[in-house]
Amino acid sequence: MIFNSIRWRLQLWYGLLLLGVLAGFGLTAYELQRGKQFRRTDDELRRRVVELGNALRANGPPRDRPPPRRPPRDRPDDEGQIDDGPPLRNPEERPDPFSRPPREFRLLPRQASLFDETDTSGFYYVVWSRTGAIIGRSTNAPASIPMPEYPSTPGPIPPRLRGTFRESSQSTPPGEILLAGRSIASDLDDLRRTGLTLAGAGGLILLVSLTGGWWLAGRAIHPINDISAAAVKIAAGDLSQRINLADTENELGRLGAVLNSTFDRLAAALEEQKQFTADAAHELRTPVSVVLTQTQTALTRERTAAEYRETVESCHRAAQRMRRLIESLLALARLDAGQEPMKRERVNLVTTTLDSTKLVQPLADERKVHIYYEVPPLECIGDAERIGQVITNLLTNAVNYNVENGEVRIAGETKNGSAIITVADTGPGIPAEDLPHIFKRFYRAEKSRTAGRTGLGLSISKAIIDAHGGALDVISESGKGTTFTIRLPKSD
Amino acid sequence: MRILIVEDEPDLLRALAQAFREEGYAVDTATDGEDGIFKAESWEYDAIVLDVMLPKLDGWEVLRRLRKTKKTPVLMLTARDQTRDRVRGLDNGADDYLVKPFDLAELLARLRALIRRTANQSRAAIEIRDVTIDTAARNISRAGESIALTAREYALVEYLALHRGKVITRTALYEHLFDENDSTLSNLLDVHVSNVRKKLGHDFIATRRGHGYCIES
Repeated sequence: MIFNSIRWRLQLWYGLLLLGVLAGFGLTAYELQRGKQFRRTDDELRRRVVELGNALRANGPPRDRPPPRRPPRDRPDDEGQIDDGPPLRNPEERPDPFSRPPREFRLLPRQASLFDETDTSGFYYVVWSRTGAIIGRSTNAPASIPMPEYPSTPGPIPPRLRGTFRESSQSTPPGEILLAGRSIASDLDDLRRTGLTLAGAGGLILLVSLTGGWWLAGRAIHPINDISAAAVKIAAGDLSQRINLADTENELGRLGAVLNSTFDRLAAALEEQKQFTADAAHELRTPVSVVLTQTQTALTRERTAAEYRETVESCHRAAQRMRRLIESLLALARLDAGQEPMKRERVNLVTTTLDSTKLVQPLADERKVHIYYEVPPLECIGDAERIGQVITNLLTNAVNYNVENGEVRIAGETKNGSAIITVADTGPGIPAEDLPHIFKRFYRAEKSRTAGRTGLGLSISKAIIDAHGGALDVISESGKGTTFTIRLPKSD
Repeated sequence: MRILIVEDEPDLLRALAQAFREEGYAVDTATDGEDGIFKAESWEYDAIVLDVMLPKLDGWEVLRRLRKTKKTPVLMLTARDQTRDRVRGLDNGADDYLVKPFDLAELLARLRALIRRTANQSRAAIEIRDVTIDTAARNISRAGESIALTAREYALVEYLALHRGKVITRTALYEHLFDENDSTLSNLLDVHVSNVRKKLGHDFIATRRGHGYCIES
């Protein structure tokens, strides 16, 4: 479960990486330190082994200097060069321990000062003769020191670590083995301390970094938590919630802004839906009230036939109104759901507009409004019946919202590959504050219920034209009239 | 009792007016806000039934303007049933609130209650000496016996009983008992008073010369 959290995962990966880096760094530092320590000890031991070699001489008087017959060194710094006594005739030949008399080992005071025999942790030495007998041994040397094995060729033997003792040795051509050693217990202690210090420091750094990392990850994740908290509240139905966009510059801020605008649109759509439902219910309430009041009044006592007739007529009108409303609501619902795709056939707009005009003519005569028909031959692609419905609706509005002896002008043209039909009236016009809302469902510029209007006509018209990929626009000037413009595609 | 109904749906208005008249109310009607506020300010109505959605002036505006000058009880009639609409209506000075579609019986009962409350009368039955007036059943009985009165006679008794102890002028009685369509013949009121006295006793309604009529409490 815990690894489903980004914060924990980040922390884990970060911790592992950091641990690797710190361990690599610490081990390297430790190894470097250890190597340096050993090399220094080895150098010291090597120097002493050389001096031990100088202390070996053939039986004879002691001498302070190398014998004059000694050949000049060609490499004076070569630590391996020691006085090796009479050279072997053949270096390949094993020295014959009995062919020559054993050499004597005696340290000069200068050489002896290199070994502090009083100190058990100081430098010590052991010298073995050709026969393997110990011919020299410092008092502080550990009890039993195994003699190093003869190397294949006389010369330095790789230093060895025996317990806490570091020992460097060398075999001489005549066959002696020289060994210098020292207890490095204190060095090893030092190394252990260094190791512990490194590990401690590493652990501390890791801890501090992990804490910092946890905090940073928390900071980075914080907006996500905000977003998810807001989203949870919204999902629970509180659509007024928004993500706090204190830090809008970063990626999460942008995500939050995108989500907020999505929530805004969602809330607006829901609010619109709610309003629509409330409006639809509202529109149905009035006719229902009429039916209820009429019938309840009629039923309180015996009525005359004429009174009953009036009641029934009134109920009939209310029922008609409800039917119209329900049909309009259904039409809108189908258009919204895209259940009734528009036909895409060639439409002769002259026929369509003429049919609509004829349909509206009786109403126009009744209202004393004159319809001017000015549509040139015009075609478009679409659903003739639906387009006719829109034109009829616009013409009916133009006649209804007109003045006595007013005019309605229906015209057509082709512009930018679109067929355009305009319906203009000479009515009082639509107030500027209402103009942006007239296509909204149930919106009425005039806050009243005029018999026969559902308040959905323009919404349905717009939905139909939109479904054709066209546009329905309006311009209106107060006192001069209103013009609706239908734009329809001429071809697919 | 005289009622003003402001409603723009003609069928509903007609049905409401008929129902109220049959209940014995004098009913005036208005079909838009402007007409409504004009009538409401011009006459002393006992109650106003006000629709919210009206042409010219909506119900809220009518209520707001009316409350500047009058305390006439107002029952708001609206198709909006959201709480915030109801709260708004009551906060704006409406005395009651009814959502469409409503039950006619409920509307009538609420209206009766509204009128009763305005007259500081909390119970539906009013008892004056041996006469009991049941405002809910619109029935008057004297010493346990039911007395038959015409709607106008009942309205006269009810109005005077609701304001018992007070002298009601003839003008006020005319205003509350007759609507705008009645021809206000000056002796019509005297005829009604005389008929009531015959049925409920001569002393039931006292005449204050030059002032008006009164039912002693």
